[in-house]
Amino acid sequence: MLFVGDRQAKGWRIAISVLAYGLPFLFIVAPLLSFLTYSFFWVEGGQMHYDLTWRNYSRFFTDAIFIPVLWQTCLLCLAVAVLAALLGYPVAFRLATLSGRRKYILLMLVLVPLLMSYIIKIYAIRSILGGNGFLNRFLVWANLIDQPLTLFVFNLNAVLLTLTVLLIPFAILPIFLSLERIPKNLIEASTDLGASNWQTFCRVILPLSLPGVVTAASFVFVLAIGDFLTPQMVGGPNGFTFGRIIYSQFGAAFNWPFGAALSVILALVMSVVIALGRRFERQT
Amino acid sequence: MMQLSRLASFGLSALTALVFVLLYGPLLVPIASSFFEIARGDVQWTSPSLSAYVALTRNQGIITAFLNTLIVGFTATFLAVLLGILFAIHYRNGATFGRDLMQFVIFLPFLMPPIMIGLSLLIFFRETDVPRSLLTVIIGHTVFVLALAYRTIVVRLQSLSVSYIEASYDLGASSWQTFFYVVLPNLKSALIGAAILCFALSFDETMISLLVTGTDNTLPIRLWAMMRLGFTPDINALVALILAFTTLMCVLAVRYLLPKDAEGT
Repeated sequence: MLFVGDRQAKGWRIAISVLAYGLPFLFIVAPLLSFLTYSFFWVEGGQMHYDLTWRNYSRFFTDAIFIPVLWQTCLLCLAVAVLAALLGYPVAFRLATLSGRRKYILLMLVLVPLLMSYIIKIYAIRSILGGNGFLNRFLVWANLIDQPLTLFVFNLNAVLLTLTVLLIPFAILPIFLSLERIPKNLIEASTDLGASNWQTFCRVILPLSLPGVVTAASFVFVLAIGDFLTPQMVGGPNGFTFGRIIYSQFGAAFNWPFGAALSVILALVMSVVIALGRRFERQT
Repeated sequence: MMQLSRLASFGLSALTALVFVLLYGPLLVPIASSFFEIARGDVQWTSPSLSAYVALTRNQGIITAFLNTLIVGFTATFLAVLLGILFAIHYRNGATFGRDLMQFVIFLPFLMPPIMIGLSLLIFFRETDVPRSLLTVIIGHTVFVLALAYRTIVVRLQSLSVSYIEASYDLGASSWQTFFYVVLPNLKSALIGAAILCFALSFDETMISLLVTGTDNTLPIRLWAMMRLGFTPDINALVALILAFTTLMCVLAVRYLLPKDAEGT
């Protein structure tokens, strides 16, 4: 391969190796280790104590608020992942059936919203869902409801809807890639053997694209559970999620070590989800 | 893919259209509002004006934030793609020592909650006495988007047949010539795709920036701060401009990618 067996390029090869091991260590591993260490420090009366203790973790398990909020957040993000995958699948399929120029234009249209500022999108969605927003005005105008509903803003429904809309593109791409990877001759074989389109879809395409769906769902889940901006902006007082609790430790509560400990717990939950996803992916 | 029946094709298109309404609908609200003044929280639909755009040119804070965002975005994208190529070549070269572990490390910042990687860097910078500035934001963004760049590039590199490279060597090319004349052209569309994605992620990255930035604002942080005070029409104007800018970028990318990739598919 490249730079291998080429004497003159030997220096470059060594330089590449040094960078390939050194940079990730310096900028990823070292910060994470210091972060992990912080989760064992503790704070009392605004004073940091630099000695190692389990008290942050035991507080998570003994205090009655944290585990229910974490569970609720997991369910919420699971719902977001399922919704995003369900909505993303037809788009990915449509993309895969197109060809040439139209495919690329549609793909770009999927990607453009990702370029848009996250903050602006949340704000825009909030202004649609809100009491005086477009959705309510439309429903009133269509005589479906008498007066504006507050069902869609400043609660967990709003967080669910907003996260789903924000994360759909992340669901579309992995599904699209898995559909693209299905060899054409498998589909042709299925058709040649007399299967209808629907049979081909159910027996050939869907099973082969499931790994992509699982990747998409775990992608969305992980992105959703790590988000604290959306619940902060559209959640209101009732839409409390685990991410918000962590964020508040670095703001109002000013307890960095406890926030770090909660983040470690969140990371463990996410690792479990990713591991489950990968396991499923390998089995199918 | 298979030949769809008319009904299936229509159904798919309808569902796709619905998703696009969900994706683009919200964006239209600030754009439409940018041409109208807002009084007492209500948009004055009767009197369109460009005053929001004029006000934008006078808002020094937003302009500075926008420039900062561009600086961070381009630098982080450049670094991430460069490092992505480097790592991809390193692992394609058969460097097996700790390979899975190192790949896992590279993916970590992308997989972990941004709040965690942001906090890690914050604590790390604090412990190593690196002052918080645009530089720390750039490092944060590079670390964050690297996984995406690496993944895109390594997948394309793996699909590149070894015989191309062997042929290049057999014809007397050096490693660098092989890299520039054989590998890089084959990676071109992957690189552009990776760069667009990296820039997009960096452009609206808020959570990491919020934690590692010093006094320099990027646009999302500025907006985050402003949203607490309520939006002004010039923010809507800015949104409209950003959408125009990104659409232009995508059109360019499509035109650039299309001739080579679209044929035969």
